[in-house]
Amino acid sequence: MKFLFIISLRNLFRQKRRNILLGSAMAFGVMILIIANSFSHGISDILFNRIVVYVAGHVNISINEGKGRDLPLFRDRDRLTKIAVETAGDKLIEYNEGVGIFLRAIGNGKVENLVLVGINTISRTLTQKQREEINESFKMLYGKFKDLGNKSIENPAILSKEKADALSVKPNDIVRVRYRNIYGQTQSSRLTVVGIMSNDNIFMQGVMFVELTNLKEMMGYRPYECGSIKLTLKEPQKDAADVADKIHSALRPGPAFILATAKVLNQDSSMNPDVSTSENKNSNPNTISSNNQNADTSPRVTLIPFMGNDEPLKKLMLSSFKLSSGNVKDVFGKDGMMVSDYLADILKIKQGDKLEFHFKPKFITKDKPEFAVREAIFSAVVKGIFISDDSTGKETIYMHEALFYPKFYENLPDLQSDSKFAFIPKEKASFKPALGTEWVLLDRSRSTDDLKQKLRAAGRKKIKAATIDVNSMYESASDVLKLENALNIITFTAVLILFFIILVGVVNTLRMTIRERTREIGTIRAIGMQKKDVLLIFVIETAILTAFASIAGTILAFISMAGLSNIAFQITDNPMGILLVKDRLHFVPTFIGIVGNIGFILFISIITAFFPSRKAANLSAADALRHFE
Amino acid sequence: MNIIEIKELTKNYPLGSTIVHALRGIDFNIASGDFLSIVGPSGSGKTTLLNIIGCIDNASSGSVNIGGVEITKLNDKEITDIRLHKIGFIFQTFNLIPVLDVLENVEFPLLLMKNRSKSEVKKRAESLIDAVGLSEHIKHRPSELSGGQRQRVAIARALVTNPDIVLADEPTANLDSATGEQILELMKEMNRKEKTTFIFSTHDSNVIKYAGYVLKIKDGKMVN
Repeated sequence: MKFLFIISLRNLFRQKRRNILLGSAMAFGVMILIIANSFSHGISDILFNRIVVYVAGHVNISINEGKGRDLPLFRDRDRLTKIAVETAGDKLIEYNEGVGIFLRAIGNGKVENLVLVGINTISRTLTQKQREEINESFKMLYGKFKDLGNKSIENPAILSKEKADALSVKPNDIVRVRYRNIYGQTQSSRLTVVGIMSNDNIFMQGVMFVELTNLKEMMGYRPYECGSIKLTLKEPQKDAADVADKIHSALRPGPAFILATAKVLNQDSSMNPDVSTSENKNSNPNTISSNNQNADTSPRVTLIPFMGNDEPLKKLMLSSFKLSSGNVKDVFGKDGMMVSDYLADILKIKQGDKLEFHFKPKFITKDKPEFAVREAIFSAVVKGIFISDDSTGKETIYMHEALFYPKFYENLPDLQSDSKFAFIPKEKASFKPALGTEWVLLDRSRSTDDLKQKLRAAGRKKIKAATIDVNSMYESASDVLKLENALNIITFTAVLILFFIILVGVVNTLRMTIRERTREIGTIRAIGMQKKDVLLIFVIETAILTAFASIAGTILAFISMAGLSNIAFQITDNPMGILLVKDRLHFVPTFIGIVGNIGFILFISIITAFFPSRKAANLSAADALRHFE
Repeated sequence: MNIIEIKELTKNYPLGSTIVHALRGIDFNIASGDFLSIVGPSGSGKTTLLNIIGCIDNASSGSVNIGGVEITKLNDKEITDIRLHKIGFIFQTFNLIPVLDVLENVEFPLLLMKNRSKSEVKKRAESLIDAVGLSEHIKHRPSELSGGQRQRVAIARALVTNPDIVLADEPTANLDSATGEQILELMKEMNRKEKTTFIFSTHDSNVIKYAGYVLKIKDGKMVN
């Protein structure tokens, strides 16, 4: 083999000019291919790592509560972040809450629509890389980025020069904003402009930034609540999907229930459920009275939700429960509530009576004791009484999800400590699948389309529990990956045409070479070289030429990319600006991309060389020796 | 003992729309160690006969037995092996590999044998180069040698595998008469030293005197 390699190599140098020309053409093709590939990777890197990851993180845990699935609210931030942080372990760099809001901003006589995004600048230690990224993203024309966290200023904010001009505001001016908070109430706030930034990225131009804690307060989040969680990983490409899978597994919900004391209210009261908490006791003296009078005698009950909006699950409930009073339509309707016959006896209640439930929420607001929610109270009308047994529990009340979840989420109970005393139906109970859980964990998506379909399906089911969805950047950005693939296919096709022309050259050169060396082929065959070795000589010759051309093409590509990266493009007010980094083209050559391209070219060259080489190998030695040019 | 036995050998090949009968029933045997000359005018079938004996062309009919092996029944791989191990070639136009130097050209057949050590190959090649008097040109490429020197390299290459038969197709045709005589003397010497059977074709009557035996051929037939 070494001998064949030496012959092939020397044969290459025999026809220097011809091979240099052919090699140059191949090197040019390789150079174009690598530049095109690196450019498409660069675009993908910008979209992926600088936009998608900025918006959704490497791993994103998104939560939706509410009718339209558009309320990003999780009621137990510490629990969620603990699960996420412990699961990600040492693969995690940091986590952040993703909170943003569309709003109308009023400047000095001008009005503009903006997106207000919260950035955690206070409780966050930045790495050098993050500082560089922030400096790159926030090119401050006036003010300092760190002023976002200045507590002595009223809601400090940074906005782009374009929006500052549109609102006619200068540093230290006040911008009034009107928006809807997470509960749908219209609110207004004052923001102080502490910085104006220049940004070529058109997506960043319409965003105003404030400190995360300020924004959460504006939006009505309580201190223990959060929106979506974004995780930043050390090695996202390696770990993102795996971490997302593990977090998804760790987020399997437990059963939802409320351990409460139940009291009978005036049986003539309204059929509509009423809700109150001890914070508004002063405005509802009847509730205080009821509470005080029956505190010691009220039985402890477990309130359990059933998924009444899901028809198959509703039917499962219907088949599993026998009612001693009440009609099915009311009991399993959206205000439906059925009490066990055991409780009905104790409380001496019948269908149509109203019960009031008292329970202790997990979180008690300590910073404002005067408004502290020490005890949550709500009431609901008994729509039916079921015959209890061991599987249903005796001190149990089953509620339609639409009735249960608003009370459950508004004042989240401490399920962990309450579970010692609550009745939780066993897994083997026939109706267990129809019972509600703390939240609904959506299946992992594999693409953006998959994700959209899944959310539509969840919407159709009218799930009342909060939904949690765990995505890695690959699913969030699968459209970006598709775009990268499309770019790669376009560039690859263009380069393939180029290569087709070059390969015609390879075939022609080889045919000419074989013709010139026919007598030589006859000689080596006569001496005793096997056909396969003759074939190998020509194939190796082409492979060496291609390999040299590929190395030269790669070097040329890197030189060209370095040159192109030094040219600054001044693009403002143009979406194409997002394709630039620091006003320059962004190339991301990858080892796998380069090796893959060279491997492909080598493969094509060898295949192209194979057929004329085989023809040479199959020449009859006698005919070849008779050949004269 | 016969190293070559040929019976009723014919070779026809198409030339445009006609069939050329290059050999029309040749019968002869050659004993091991002979120094045989095949003579005849141009187009008589000398090269075709040598090509068939050298296993680089096929017979149309008849039998060709070389060293006890009927070569007309072998496949390409087996025939190539016979060429490598049993036959050496000396061509009229020398046919050296231009990208290899003298040593590499002589080593070439041994390297194709694959089961020889590098030092063994080199030692054997150098001894042959020394025997043909080219030790001082061992690193020269063919283009740096004279015609006579090239043919000496070809002789060394033909003998390096220690073959049973060396076939030389008009080995002196491209050389001046003095050099041609030197080459024939060298072949004769090698025939004596190595006990290798030499068969060479020629149409030069001055060359025939070197042959131990002469086989005359005309129009594809043997002539007494």
